[in-house]
Amino acid sequence: MINAKPTLKSTLKALLYLAPLLIVTITFTIWPLISSFLMSFYTKYNYFTNQVKAMGGANFAYLWQNPDFHLAVRNTLVFVIGVVPLTVILSLGIALLLNQINWLSSFFRTIYFLPFVTSTVAISLVWNWIFHQDNGLLNALLGGSVDWLNDPHYSLTALIIVCVWRGLGFNIVLFLAGLNNIDNHYYQAAKLDGASAWQQFTNVTLPMLAPITVLITVNEIISSFKVFDQIYALFHGQAGPANADLTMMYYLYQKFYVEGQYPVAAASGVVLFIFIVIITGLAFWYFQRHSIKIWGRRS
Amino acid sequence: MKHLRQFLFASLLAFLALATLSACSSQQAGSSTKRVTITFWHGMTDSRKTELNHLIRTFNNSQTTYKVIGSSQGNIVNVQQKITAAAKSKTLPTIAQTVYTNVPDYVRGDIITPFDPYIKKNDLSDLHTAFRQSINYQGKAYSMPFSRSARILFYNKTLLKKEGLKVPTTWADIQKDGLQLKSKGITAMAFDQNFVTEADGLTRQAGSPLFGNGFDVNLTNKKSLAAIHVIWDMLQNGTATTAGTDGYGSVAFFKGKTLFYSGSSAGISTMQASTPKGMRWGTATLPSYQGQKVSSNSGNDIVMFKSASKAQRKGAAAFVKFLMSQKQTIKWAEKTGYVPLTKSAKSNAGYQQFLAKNPTAKAAENSLSFGFQDKPFLGYNQYLVAVGKSFDEMTANHVTPEKAMTQLQKQLPKMAKEQQK
Repeated sequence: MINAKPTLKSTLKALLYLAPLLIVTITFTIWPLISSFLMSFYTKYNYFTNQVKAMGGANFAYLWQNPDFHLAVRNTLVFVIGVVPLTVILSLGIALLLNQINWLSSFFRTIYFLPFVTSTVAISLVWNWIFHQDNGLLNALLGGSVDWLNDPHYSLTALIIVCVWRGLGFNIVLFLAGLNNIDNHYYQAAKLDGASAWQQFTNVTLPMLAPITVLITVNEIISSFKVFDQIYALFHGQAGPANADLTMMYYLYQKFYVEGQYPVAAASGVVLFIFIVIITGLAFWYFQRHSIKIWGRRS
Repeated sequence: MKHLRQFLFASLLAFLALATLSACSSQQAGSSTKRVTITFWHGMTDSRKTELNHLIRTFNNSQTTYKVIGSSQGNIVNVQQKITAAAKSKTLPTIAQTVYTNVPDYVRGDIITPFDPYIKKNDLSDLHTAFRQSINYQGKAYSMPFSRSARILFYNKTLLKKEGLKVPTTWADIQKDGLQLKSKGITAMAFDQNFVTEADGLTRQAGSPLFGNGFDVNLTNKKSLAAIHVIWDMLQNGTATTAGTDGYGSVAFFKGKTLFYSGSSAGISTMQASTPKGMRWGTATLPSYQGQKVSSNSGNDIVMFKSASKAQRKGAAAFVKFLMSQKQTIKWAEKTGYVPLTKSAKSNAGYQQFLAKNPTAKAAENSLSFGFQDKPFLGYNQYLVAVGKSFDEMTANHVTPEKAMTQLQKQLPKMAKEQQK
């Protein structure tokens, strides 16, 4: 049946099965994507009447010259570089530790997963208190008086801390699933060969976790590029002090909903999309190229 | 089996016949009492939503022709976002609550219609001057005032007495009080997230307003810069503070870390509910500068969408007139902390009694005679974002008003040009 030659009838039948999901995807994903891509080229445009009087690349030229957009790109890249490696390394570390303990492991797993299922607003309220200059937990622990959320020098670090903490839970669960899938025979063979714990980790655990690491890294890159709600909630509807936490996604929101510059917002969305594609592509390329060197042949 | 099938078929037929008959009869009954439906999107939540629903019910009970269906869309930001989306999908309501400075964008988008054909100028004569002026755009009344508030001064009564100070009447008084309190670790003044609203008032008092006629403003004017310096100097020498991520200056005010707080009168009810035990506070009108008093009026208006039928437009106008009527505007003000829209409310006996019982509401009412609102223009929101950014630079990065305003001034021609697209 699987190898049967496709006929018009069978193709139509397949299309019929695919239709519900296809219609939903085209309506809510493909069409808005095309629509916003086209909108990014509208230079004389009335959003409400949908009248397009001129088209061109002026919106991209605007972004090229706009200092706020440059700041948004810079902040986003710093944020991605800060969040992605930290999240991956910490998640892996915690997953390894959790994998070692049997007692209360489910309890700790739940604790780490909680931030992922808690609302952003609730999380931001708690972190707002932790970061507070006068009676915040962090300053009490560090013994300093840093205004984490209102000082432009620290606010991006504060955002990175919150986002890393929030992303841990989900990634730990993914790593744990990956760790549980590693056949114990590999470790037994390594022990027979006299491998130390570190050698077992680098030669067995890491290579076997390669596929899940790629998945987590790529997923983190994409979600970090799109960070918005944490900023909105943590900084009370602002992009941090003096735009210190203005990211590309926040810039898009501001241009669209606050300033009403719809084509510029669409153009920034296209640029954001290109950034995500390039960085994700680079990550894939890196993992492919270095997989043999770092993780052996298997990955 | 065959009998069972026949029985089921007969039952189905009987059910369909009954359903059709009952539908016809209910339609007949409905048509005799059919009222024109006016859909109303608003951004009121919690107790204000309850109060607005009560007003809507009162209006509906007084009507045989119209029926208003109110629908809370979350907060006012959510309403704006919903309007932006609904305009595109052509699913706009009859009327909606909005920030009046959005009116130029909506007019350009051809989605709203003026109230002029349905509300006579005479009907608006009792409105406060600032409200009457702000609803006009290109000579037409595109919006009607509804939930309006005034900027007032909150003061810590206990602290004021302890320090032997008086309620300030000028900004110079606040500066002086600040220097006295500094050594005790208390600031004189707390502002909300930034001090744009206060600077808007001060520059207006200086005769060179921050928000003037569109992009045609002189921000580097000596008078304007001196007015901004009044607050900026206080922020630099630590005698004033902005709320930052606290959102509102009332947070520092309630902690007893500041003597005064410049905030919106709309926050009075919330502040009353969250006042710490043992703290006593009062309100006053904002201090004067250069011998002049002003108070920024903010809040939201109601706009009517072009997609509404003629009957709906008439009904919407009737509802808006009802909301602006003396009785209802006073009731709304008493319950919510917003201000009454009419001048004559001040002499209303019932409202006088309310003010006597609630003295904190007096400052807002007294501020209305010298209230002002920015003139709406195309690109206002873009300009507001740019101004906010400049003021953030002044606060967070200690950039001087001279430098910040010079940079902003340079951006204006480009911003104006972008609006011509």
